Amino acid sequence: MQFRLVRYFTLASLGMFGLVALSLIYFEHLQGQFFKQTSDEQGTFFSEVQQSFAKQQDESARRDLLSIHEAGNVNLTRLFANALWEKDFAPFVASVQAIDVQTCRAIADITDDKGKKVAPPEKKACFTDVGNRIMALPAFKGLDAKVFDSMKKSTVFKIKVFDLRGITVYSSEHAQIGEDKSANEGWRSAALDGVPKSELTHRGKFSAFEGVVENRDLIGSYLPVLEPGSSRIVGVFEVYSDVTPFLKQIQQTSEQIKLTAVENQRKLEEAATTNQTAVDATSYRQLATIAGLLALLFAALLVIVRRAEKVIQQQEKDRAHAHQQLAQSEKMASLGQMVAGVAHQLNTPLAFSQNNVLMVKDALQSMELPMKVASRLSTILEDVDGDKVTLKVSQLKANLEKLQDGNVDVSMLQAMLADVLEGIEQMTEMVVNLRDFTRLDRAAVANADLNKSLHTVAYIAKTVLPKNIELIEEFAQLPDVECNPSQLNQVFLNLINNAAQAMDGPGKITVRTATDGDRVRIEVQDNGHGIPDDVLPHIFDLYYTTKPTGEGTGLGLPIAKDIITQHGGEIQVSTRIGVGTTFTVLLPVRQQALSALAA
Amino acid sequence: MAKKGGKVLCVDDEPSIVRSLQWLLQKQFEVVTATSGAEAIELVKQHDFDVVISDQRMPMMTGVEVLREVRRLSPRTMRILLTGYSDMQAIVRSVNESEVFRFINKPWNIAELPKVVDQAINIARTQPVEDTAADVTEDAPLVANGERILVIDDDPDMGRAVADIVGTSAKVSYTRNLADAVGILNSEPVSVIVSETRVGSIDATRLVRLMKSKHPEIVTVMLTGESDADTITTLINQGQIYRFVPKPIRSGYLKLVLHSALRKHNALTGDPGLAFRHAVENTASGTVDSLMSDVERAATLSETAIASKGAGFMATLGAGFRRLFGS
Repeated sequence: MQFRLVRYFTLASLGMFGLVALSLIYFEHLQGQFFKQTSDEQGTFFSEVQQSFAKQQDESARRDLLSIHEAGNVNLTRLFANALWEKDFAPFVASVQAIDVQTCRAIADITDDKGKKVAPPEKKACFTDVGNRIMALPAFKGLDAKVFDSMKKSTVFKIKVFDLRGITVYSSEHAQIGEDKSANEGWRSAALDGVPKSELTHRGKFSAFEGVVENRDLIGSYLPVLEPGSSRIVGVFEVYSDVTPFLKQIQQTSEQIKLTAVENQRKLEEAATTNQTAVDATSYRQLATIAGLLALLFAALLVIVRRAEKVIQQQEKDRAHAHQQLAQSEKMASLGQMVAGVAHQLNTPLAFSQNNVLMVKDALQSMELPMKVASRLSTILEDVDGDKVTLKVSQLKANLEKLQDGNVDVSMLQAMLADVLEGIEQMTEMVVNLRDFTRLDRAAVANADLNKSLHTVAYIAKTVLPKNIELIEEFAQLPDVECNPSQLNQVFLNLINNAAQAMDGPGKITVRTATDGDRVRIEVQDNGHGIPDDVLPHIFDLYYTTKPTGEGTGLGLPIAKDIITQHGGEIQVSTRIGVGTTFTVLLPVRQQALSALAA
Repeated sequence: MAKKGGKVLCVDDEPSIVRSLQWLLQKQFEVVTATSGAEAIELVKQHDFDVVISDQRMPMMTGVEVLREVRRLSPRTMRILLTGYSDMQAIVRSVNESEVFRFINKPWNIAELPKVVDQAINIARTQPVEDTAADVTEDAPLVANGERILVIDDDPDMGRAVADIVGTSAKVSYTRNLADAVGILNSEPVSVIVSETRVGSIDATRLVRLMKSKHPEIVTVMLTGESDADTITTLINQGQIYRFVPKPIRSGYLKLVLHSALRKHNALTGDPGLAFRHAVENTASGTVDSLMSDVERAATLSETAIASKGAGFMATLGAGFRRLFGS
């Protein structure tokens, strides 16, 4: 499985940066909201404070106005009472007492639509009648004139006078004379408790001394009238004084304050908005800066990671290349070793064959003359009819030595040539085995008789192995195995060579075959020194070797394992120190996928 | 049939080989064959052989082991090693342990082999045998009487190492230059040459081979970092090198080698006949000339103090070569 560094890094870091950005945005948002909320609350609070301040100011101004006017009215009433009560009002009130009001009061109140008890019209008419009777009194006209005269050009708009029964004895507004105010709270406070009571009211229309006025703010005060020289309440004044200008002033001030408050509020809100905008802007700037930094970080890391991946890829490529080269050199080394062994093996039959052929050739050379002589003799003998032949030996004697030279033991020559034939046979066997081993002229994948393959491998191995190592073949009947025989030969040769290297002196290597279910089992067993515990876990590791640097590539067993794995087989090892090692190869008889082996 | 000219034992695990050798040699010599080392040792114990020819690659016992045993059992027997392909380690051991007379490669030359055997038999029969001295240990002091040892090597440490070992008991001349070596060989009697196979860029083995052919009493010890089987085969056949010491060198081993080399030299000078036991093959013609031209060229190129001596030096060098190796 390939690890895609750049892709994984990009996905992971972008995801992570996204999360960081989201959480940052979230927290910034929370912060902004909190700020907005705080500033809203502040605004509300400030506005409430201002409103309450304005209201208090307004209220206190009105209260002050009321109490100032009440005090003024009290004084006015005193003056008025002192001036008019004793001489004018006291006798007038006394005369009014003669008029009966009980009959009017006896008329029952009715309940109006709103459930409020009001006086029925006949009751009002009754009291109006009482008023008419008062106004009919002879002292009325003079009193009325006096009151009007003294109150003219003052801020007092109306004066009413009540007797202790609560009947309006006098009113500058004549229509109101005779009205019963006994239920009025102001009257009760003044008449029964002696406490003045004032009220600020707005009147759309008001009958003042100098005619009807409109839209006026008035303070009406019920004031007890004390008998001069005593504290006995003898009547109640109701004085209406005009405070419209004052109230207007107060209202203007209030208005002013309200305006200021609104202005302040607006300013505050403006400031809050500005702040909010600033905060938002800062927040955006922060986010943008962090996003920028994150992007920069990502870019830098990406560059580093890409560089790293490139380096890793290059290293991987170099490693693969080096591996390939090593595998090649491993192959060449074992090939070289094999060639050296084969050369030596061929050398022996070559040596004695050459020797024998040359000797036979020399012998034949020396036989030439005797053969000629014999041939000549036979020709002569053919032509002879009788029993005897006479030879002139003088000529022959000179060449006798040469003839004796030709006295070669023919059976020896035959033995020599028999050895040559045997040598040729050995060389042929070698060539056949070499061809079987390499299988260059055969299909890569075949149904092979592994016993035959192993015999070939053993034959080749023997050429390289020291002669004091015995190679024993113990083969059982095997089914043909679907495999790449050339690759398997490489594996078996490697295992046998390893076994040989596990021995210092004489030793024994046994190559064994057996069937194992639907698999075949090939064992290469040696009685060498065994594999130490610290080496055993690494024997199939790439580049692991116990040989000195330059001698072993550490590729033999890993390649063997590769080949066996490609065949769907297994390679196992069992070893005992000082006793020996057995490598076991298990191969399936049939392959699942043949294509993998064709390489 | 006339009495045959010597008793030869041929050893090879391949019966066809020993049969061939027997057929080849039986006309001239009395030939006995063996197909294993053990059998050969038994035969050597029972018979007195002039020559033993053994194959190197045999089961149970290698040729070197067989010949070492033969040397121990019968020092006068000349030993010849037969090899198919050259195994470096085997060759080094054959020099140092078995002191073989010749290497013969398979396939052999059927005209030459009988001559080599004949020569060996002649030496075995006519030349006296040196005493087999008791083995010495590395701790034993070096015995020497002021002999001269010539060290030829690029590495000055080598000269120092030899000087340290011999101390004052022998004289050591060190040079990294073959021209100097020729000068020293001309002016002083040298007993032992310790030489690297290559000095600078020049193959120094030619000097050693030539020296041995003209002055067989000089004992040669070869040092080498690289191992080239052919070089050593040639050295043993043409230079009869006494010992072969692969680098890196253990000083204890070098001391042993020097000790026995000096003893060997004394034996050779004490009885000049012994030297025939180390007779060499003829070196290829022209070796002197090629060596001389190489040395002269190197001397010219190297701009050394020697080279600066000018034309007079060249004349001296040429004269030195002629005196050493004859014309």
